[in-house]
Amino acid sequence: MAAPAYPAWVTRWVSGQWRNKKRPPTLRPTRTLALADRVANRREQSTEATCITEMSVMMACWKQNDFNDTPCAEEIRMFYDCVAKAEKERKKQNEDTVLSRGNLPSSKVNKLLKRFPQITRYV
Amino acid sequence: MAAPSAAGLGRRLRAWLPRIMPVRWSRYNPSYLEPEAKKESYQKPLEELTEEEREHMELKAVRPIKAAPPSLSSSVFSDPMISKFTNMMMKSGNKVLARSLMSQTLEAIKRKQLEKYHKAPENEKETIECNPYVIFHQALKNCQPIIGLSNITKGGKTYQVPIPLTDNRKRFLAMKWLIAECRENKHRRTLMPEKLSQELLLAFNNEGPVIKKKHVLHKMAEANRAYAHFRWW
Repeated sequence: MAAPAYPAWVTRWVSGQWRNKKRPPTLRPTRTLALADRVANRREQSTEATCITEMSVMMACWKQNDFNDTPCAEEIRMFYDCVAKAEKERKKQNEDTVLSRGNLPSSKVNKLLKRFPQITRYV
Repeated sequence: MAAPSAAGLGRRLRAWLPRIMPVRWSRYNPSYLEPEAKKESYQKPLEELTEEEREHMELKAVRPIKAAPPSLSSSVFSDPMISKFTNMMMKSGNKVLARSLMSQTLEAIKRKQLEKYHKAPENEKETIECNPYVIFHQALKNCQPIIGLSNITKGGKTYQVPIPLTDNRKRFLAMKWLIAECRENKHRRTLMPEKLSQELLLAFNNEGPVIKKKHVLHKMAEANRAYAHFRWW
């Protein structure tokens, strides 16, 4: 007997195409599935206010001496020294880009990514 | 320390050259050096110079030099603080008027102090300061605030937070307060040198409305010291 010629729907039904494969796609991406050239802005909960103790000492001295500067010269000098030191620390820290914390700050990451963007199309 | 390669530098400099070559602008090619105004640096004999100064002199022979701005002076009488104060007093670019007002102010200070000097008894004559420049600098120093307030928004509300000020900001505030005080809170027909000399002498003695303004700022900072933790620098 020759090979029986079944209609097309029979072969398709037998193969199980209707059951598994012919389904609407489970994923319909609204944007292209590619990495963007920026990261989200992350607020660094890094530093607290510096020189608070010196400032409070100076203010206590002010309160005692009716806000005259001459009796409080020593405390004012200490406050200025602390401020200068904190400023230098901040300048030095800015250059290292906070590698000690583990991650770069988001602004620097964005700058780097802008230099090496994701290629989405080939011309 | 080898000098940077001439070829690489030349290529970079040529790439930077704008179409119009600036002569007296503030944007110069990075190769331009600053002009040297002090006469003492040119009178030093060659042997006394340190290594860096010798290298700097050799560099000046090959590099172009920026045009000197009109405010740069090699005179012994020029004072950067006085120039800055004159510029702040200037209105609509009338530097001639501002400079004459400044010199009249210094003269008025000198006259007042000399009058006090000649009227004072012998033992007090040394305590009276007659140099108007010294009085100007001391008065400005007395007027400078030590701590300032800045607006910081947190949780929808703005707070006045005490912050340390930079030197430039302190100088600017002192000068601005002095000038504003003279312009606004005096009788209409008094001339600026008279008002300014009076204010400077009061500030020199730690009295007067400008010092009071500084104290008011300090008091507000002291009252708001609880918010000092809102700073993040």
